[in-house]
Amino acid sequence: MTKPGVEFAELHWLMDVLQSIDVGLVILDRDYKIQLWNGFMENHSGLPPDQVHDKSLFESFGDIPETWFRQKAEPVFELKTRTFTIWEQRPYLFKFKNSRPITGRSSTMYQNSSLIPLESVNGDVNHICLIIYDVTDIAVNQGDLISANGHLAYLSQTDSLTELFNRGFWEQEFQREHKRCSRTSTPCSLVMFDIDHFKNVNDTYGHQAGDEVIRTLASIVRQTARETDICGRYGGEEFTILLVDTDAEAATIFTERLRKKVAALVINIDDKEIKFTISSGIAEYSSNFIKHTQWIEAADKALYHAKGNGRNKTTVYQSK
Amino acid sequence: MALPVLICDDSSFARKQMKRALPDDWDIELTFASNGVEGVEAIRQGKGEVVFLDLTMPELDGYGVLEMIRKEDLPAMVIVVSGDIQPDAQQRVKKLGAMAFVKKPIDKAKTVEILTEFGILSES
Amino acid sequence: MRAQAMTMSLTEDQRDCYQEITNVAMGQAADRLARLLDVYVILPIPKVNMISASELHMALADTATSDNVSAVCQGFIGSGIAGEALLVFNDASFSDLAQIMNYKGPLDQHGELELLMDVSSVLIGACIHGIGDQIEVSFNQGHPVVLGQHCQVDDLVKSGNHQWSQTLAIEIHYEIENLNISCDLLLLFTEDSVAKINQQVDYLLD
Repeated sequence: MTKPGVEFAELHWLMDVLQSIDVGLVILDRDYKIQLWNGFMENHSGLPPDQVHDKSLFESFGDIPETWFRQKAEPVFELKTRTFTIWEQRPYLFKFKNSRPITGRSSTMYQNSSLIPLESVNGDVNHICLIIYDVTDIAVNQGDLISANGHLAYLSQTDSLTELFNRGFWEQEFQREHKRCSRTSTPCSLVMFDIDHFKNVNDTYGHQAGDEVIRTLASIVRQTARETDICGRYGGEEFTILLVDTDAEAATIFTERLRKKVAALVINIDDKEIKFTISSGIAEYSSNFIKHTQWIEAADKALYHAKGNGRNKTTVYQSK
Repeated sequence: MALPVLICDDSSFARKQMKRALPDDWDIELTFASNGVEGVEAIRQGKGEVVFLDLTMPELDGYGVLEMIRKEDLPAMVIVVSGDIQPDAQQRVKKLGAMAFVKKPIDKAKTVEILTEFGILSES
Repeated sequence: MRAQAMTMSLTEDQRDCYQEITNVAMGQAADRLARLLDVYVILPIPKVNMISASELHMALADTATSDNVSAVCQGFIGSGIAGEALLVFNDASFSDLAQIMNYKGPLDQHGELELLMDVSSVLIGACIHGIGDQIEVSFNQGHPVVLGQHCQVDDLVKSGNHQWSQTLAIEIHYEIENLNISCDLLLLFTEDSVAKINQQVDYLLD
């Protein structure tokens, strides 16, 4: 074959490749009119080349914000620099619907893109090439990863039965609050309570019933407490609530409300009616509590006192 | 006298396609059958001197039809028109006495070629 | 009750047409496989249906048994018609397949993947292009994706994650005569494609 023949064959192959390659290729002239529209773009847009040729990109695709795109593209023309967009900044340039009914996890295609300058014979850039990459899988997997991580975090902080904070995480949060209390002057109260005669509940009605009691109590706590209150399952049948911006008096009102709700409650399990009560100890923050453990001890002492005085009651810690 | 031609295929779409692929101005009496049993019956009644036969059909498939034709020594020239074009299929069909094997989709040019080759259509 | 989107259904003529088109395409694919492996492929009539997303699992369950399967999925797109082809292989098929493909390597996960890829390229490619030829559409194929190896059919497709409610599904079963080799090919089109394909088909039916 003569040399021109060889070159022609190569050019022909190149054209074939560009047409069938799995990437979108769009060439724009200085007026942002489409001069090349490859197979990928045709297939995903449903528009054949003759329908978009020499038409303004923005007219054919209203979704592309003109000002933003021009801002990105002008430097490519003027300064001959390449520029890029990623799906994290903008999910897509061209809105292409999902083409995968089995494995597709998104309704539209996520895209990365590159804008490259195309020099003409005299060195000027009168055309740019827009390359579109389908990165839907990456984007969706990233989303999966983030939500999986979020879920993992939730799992490590939460007690599964009550959906309150588990002891470890609650103590962490409590410690933080303790430090904050030592710096500010707003009052904070710690409530510690547990279920009276819980062992009896388990022995009489079985462990499943016991679990149901705990679960129900936890849900009442969640309903009664505020967003800012920090609630945790401290032990088997023991709970703690840190009431922020609350003094002992207000804490007592809160705790009494809780106690009465619980006392009035009847839980039905397997045609049996279970009633129970709680005893509570309250300790308001004091600068005497140098360590957070001292604060907990104080609340615990108050709780112990409530138990010793007939149960189903609330006691406030008084420092001697 | 008009030549009795039979198109035997379970798909109505395929029968239509076959009909469209027949040469223009061909003096024939056309019959349709939608499975092998109907097909053999039509041939027995003298309606299928030339048969365009599909292979995959319910009741009695194309192979079954060819076997019956051979067994009963029926006067039918069979052209198998099928989507199943595996080498084995083509061989089996020839062994069972089919005149020709054409793969779907068939067009007019191909039909004319086959019919001319076997002298059914005279070259004009 | 708000006005629900039109539920699409196929006319008998359309269904018949799809069956025939698929039949021919299947035949071409089987032919290639037959020549490659020097075997005879048994071709039953393909099943053509409109299915809802919730029925996808049922369509798959129809295919394989409770045995373990391996599956490959490949997308295709062209002229406003797009979809995916899912090829599900019964794991029991691999040893016979390895034999007739003269595969000399160990039949471990990697070996099976090689075989799966080889066969799926032939079957999916020929089938898609066979259909494309008949409806005068040139299809572009995406990269194949392995949906699973040695898993249950149920695990192949995550349920409840689909972006569509109803679409056209074509199920094709391939079996090789005298050998323990069978697989199922499920062609699923995007909801938007269905109108387009019906258009092409109606044009052919005139």
